[in-house]
Amino acid sequence: MKKPWKSLFRSSAKRPMTCGEVGQWLQHYLDGELDDRRSERLAAHLEDCRRCGLEADTYTRIKHSLADHQPSVPADSLARLREFGARIARGDEPVER
Amino acid sequence: MSSPEASQALFEQHVLPEIEVLLRVARSLTRNDADAEDLVQDTLLRAYRAIERFDGRHPRAWLLTILRNTHINRNRRRRPELLRDPDGTSRQLNELAAGDVTDAGVDAGFDAGIERALAELDEPFRSVVQLVDVEGLTYAEAAEVLGVPAGTVMSRLHRARGRIRDRLDRAGLAPRSHW
Repeated sequence: MKKPWKSLFRSSAKRPMTCGEVGQWLQHYLDGELDDRRSERLAAHLEDCRRCGLEADTYTRIKHSLADHQPSVPADSLARLREFGARIARGDEPVER
Repeated sequence: MSSPEASQALFEQHVLPEIEVLLRVARSLTRNDADAEDLVQDTLLRAYRAIERFDGRHPRAWLLTILRNTHINRNRRRRPELLRDPDGTSRQLNELAAGDVTDAGVDAGFDAGIERALAELDEPFRSVVQLVDVEGLTYAEAAEVLGVPAGTVMSRLHRARGRIRDRLDRAGLAPRSHW
């Protein structure tokens, strides 16, 4: 006897996401925080939906632009701290326990 | 392990590789290069004293917790008014972002739009974007710095990016939102 609920579950697990579902999960996907099954369904939707593809492009540009805002650290400060840390690691820096 | 040699080996293995990240986050917290260097120095000393109790897992998260607690303790000594401001760390990150925008000017274009949108974000959203998307911390690491659950970091981050995206939309710098 056929079990309709079972085939429904299978098709739901494999079908591409809807636009609304992509809106819910896109950022998880772009952050690499989405599970494999949802990722496959979301990627399948992006292949066919131009407007969701544009959303993905926009959020990707936002992430890249923000990453480019990272200021450089002062080289002299970093060098002093690395030397300070190295002295601790060598036992040359007295540290109260 | 309890010998000084063992502690020094653990310190070299787990702590030394994280010094640059600690300095980056310290600069975000203090907004002052000298204070940031002092904060990291104190953090390194505290980390060495605590290294025997460290389980060896997630050293960056462990160190960021020490950094955050050290920062709070230093502010309590130096600026008692922060005791009444539980979100003081986030507020400082907020001001940092606003200052960056002033320095960058108001150039047209996507990147300038991002800067303005970041500056317009309310706390606590801005500090999460600063730590995760700008400084490159993971959700869990940002959660250690801010003292909130990783799930809270994620939800704040997604809402913050959505607001940035809407701001770009209104400025004509991104396609109209599809959803």
